[in-house]
Amino acid sequence: MSPRAVVSIVVGAVFGFFLTASGLGDYRTIHEGLLLRDPYIYLMMAATVGTAWLGIQLLRRRGSTVLGGPLVLPRHPVRRSTVFGAALFGVAFGVGATCPGITVAMLATGGLWGAPVLAGIFGGLWLRGVTASMTRRAQ
Amino acid sequence: MTDVLPDQLPWWVAGPGIGLCVVAMYGVLNVKLGVSGGWLQVMNLGTGRPVTEAWRIWFNTGLVGGALLAAALGTGSAAAGYGDLGAAVGQALLLPLLVVVGIAMGYGARWAGGCTSGHGISGCSAGSPESLAATATFFSVAVAVTLLLHLLTGGAV
Repeated sequence: MSPRAVVSIVVGAVFGFFLTASGLGDYRTIHEGLLLRDPYIYLMMAATVGTAWLGIQLLRRRGSTVLGGPLVLPRHPVRRSTVFGAALFGVAFGVGATCPGITVAMLATGGLWGAPVLAGIFGGLWLRGVTASMTRRAQ
Repeated sequence: MTDVLPDQLPWWVAGPGIGLCVVAMYGVLNVKLGVSGGWLQVMNLGTGRPVTEAWRIWFNTGLVGGALLAAALGTGSAAAGYGDLGAAVGQALLLPLLVVVGIAMGYGARWAGGCTSGHGISGCSAGSPESLAATATFFSVAVAVTLLLHLLTGGAV
């Protein structure tokens, strides 16, 4: 197994652990947040982004990464597809109160209803690929 | 199964823990952590298409392992059902509804170039305008949809 694979699997495991231990796999956690009744998801998100932002500032000073060469951070402009896609994602996020990572937390803690959502996610990823190819061919 | 963990870690523990994962992926591999892109690579692997970012498959594999570990250590079970939504629509309708929710989520994530983790956490932390716009959009739409559903169902959902 390559060093990149080892790092990915270890960090993925830590990520999955915290995501699940935060209780987000329970529909009620996100639903209550989206109903603006419980601030947990917003506080957690702020703590996540704040910590990561601080870490990234340190990485910027260093300038290079351990296995990936010079640090390159994403800085893409806003496109129409970003907004339309995010809006559609937001509708699903609002109705289902889950997301692509949290379906795993749901399933791991015995929430079998995460399975149809995850199956649908694979279907949606595939369908977007098909429609994007059709659009490219039509142009 | 042991009950080492509480049902829910405090936000000031879980949040920084996830934030450090974002930093680790940028600082070691120079990549933007994200989950839906990983599912796309898993789908490519399963359908014989080229896998362009193998690290994503390993990351999602780790994600599953970490989630199972947290569950084994006693994180609260999500087995009780699907909350108010499940109670309101009933089991027969819940299954197709959740498949449609998943399809919209996968389609939207690929269309937008990321989801709650890729845009909402990793991209926003790096100050990417695209991620800031995507996150503002999906969170505001999700809150609006949830409040509207709550209103239309008389508070049932």
